[in-house]
Amino acid sequence: MTDDALLRSPLHDRHVALGAKMADFGGWEMPIEYPGGGVVREHTAVRTGVGLFDVSHLGKARVSGPGAAEFVNRCLTNDLRRIGPGKAQYTLCCDENGGTVDDLIQYLHGDDDVFLIPNAANTATVVDLLKAAAPDGITVENLHDRYGVIAVQGRKSDEVLRTLGLPVDMEYMSFVQTQWRGRPVMVLRSGYTGERGYELVPAWDDAGPLWDALMEALEPYAGLPCGLGARDTLRTEMGYPLHGNDLSRSISPVMAGASWAVGWDKPEFWGRSAVTQQRAEKTGRLSRGLLATDRGIPRPHCPVTSADGAVVGEVTSGTFSPTLKQGIALALLDRSVAIGDEVVIDVRGRAVAATVTKPPFVAVGVRES
Amino acid sequence: MSELEYPNDLSYTPEHEWVRRAADGVVRVGITAFAQEALGDVVYVSLPKVGDALATGDACGEVESTKSVSDVYSPLAGEVTGVNDDLERTPELVNSDPYGQGWMFELRPSDPSDLDALLDATAYKNQLG
Repeated sequence: MTDDALLRSPLHDRHVALGAKMADFGGWEMPIEYPGGGVVREHTAVRTGVGLFDVSHLGKARVSGPGAAEFVNRCLTNDLRRIGPGKAQYTLCCDENGGTVDDLIQYLHGDDDVFLIPNAANTATVVDLLKAAAPDGITVENLHDRYGVIAVQGRKSDEVLRTLGLPVDMEYMSFVQTQWRGRPVMVLRSGYTGERGYELVPAWDDAGPLWDALMEALEPYAGLPCGLGARDTLRTEMGYPLHGNDLSRSISPVMAGASWAVGWDKPEFWGRSAVTQQRAEKTGRLSRGLLATDRGIPRPHCPVTSADGAVVGEVTSGTFSPTLKQGIALALLDRSVAIGDEVVIDVRGRAVAATVTKPPFVAVGVRES
Repeated sequence: MSELEYPNDLSYTPEHEWVRRAADGVVRVGITAFAQEALGDVVYVSLPKVGDALATGDACGEVESTKSVSDVYSPLAGEVTGVNDDLERTPELVNSDPYGQGWMFELRPSDPSDLDALLDATAYKNQLG
């Protein structure tokens, strides 16, 4: 794919003006890091203060019409009946084999209105699947280029939002449909960093002025604009899965440790019989954390062996933890491997010792009130 | 973005490494400002061992950032006479001072005339485009 074919965020010109390094994320040309920042500094800004992310490449879709919530609940894994209007929920879209088509956030506006944030590369697939399954009267719209998404993450994010007069301090995974300068914006307390923070969903054309105001509001708190490079190190420290690495058509919710996001009591959701069977069989590999005790950085697809040299799994995500200054990874491991075991990661032919852990790798404040 | 520098007293390779003539017929090797900028924050460096015999173009180490990994190549044939142990604890020196404290290893070339085949600063800058 050439650069010309990449889609662009409503904030694209602002990233270019800041001198950001841009790269392809799910078909979108997005910032990896900004000059004067760099992944480590941007990461640290979020862990110690506040950072601002453009995540407008994320998909947006709406399912509406009488019984929309009930319809979504028959398709996606999590149980929408566990939450009320004004709440959002992490959920998964599975195929009939139990593979994971996507992981997404569903915002419950009401019985007749559910807003979805799928991953950039999977949005069209999820929308097509929902459209094909939707009964008469239910509308599924792909709104990918109708909204921007800006994440404000870090313990100082309340101060930044307050500067703009935006609502703060709602419960974790609660959202408010509000206005900023007379224009609608959705504010959800959530994020992908493990820190206290918010995700803002303005209309596409309103994203620029909102970004500018947030950039100005960051200054007193030494906040930084952060690229998707830092977003990846932050989410890996939390053990949050990335679709395409830690979740995929061949990695089920059971394997990925996302069983908590499955409504097992529901009579129906896509892939229900396959994932239910997997859950009962207790045979597939499971996602675990690996903390490198040698110097070295695990990367996706690095083989993992036990102390006696037998292959017991494979890295799905790996990076350098800027907080711990150590290599960290998520890996799918055989069930014979226990938390606390010592294993060896084959990093391009070099043996890197690691301890099997249960993420997160760092202490975090995402849910703190 | 600040203008990247390529000192005139160094030689360069197309693989974005620099070579400095040091004392006693030894050369010092590191990666260029362009290379460290492209990599981003360097968080891990692995280096050859003192005494290793290297051929020109041998992959003899790795430099790794939060996002990616690149091989370090030997720009010349020769024997490794020293490595920068500071990079084990402070790999970020490769970013902050690529031509100084961020050097990687030292080599005694088997044939000092091999140095003549390397690029000068102008030729290196030209191939960056």
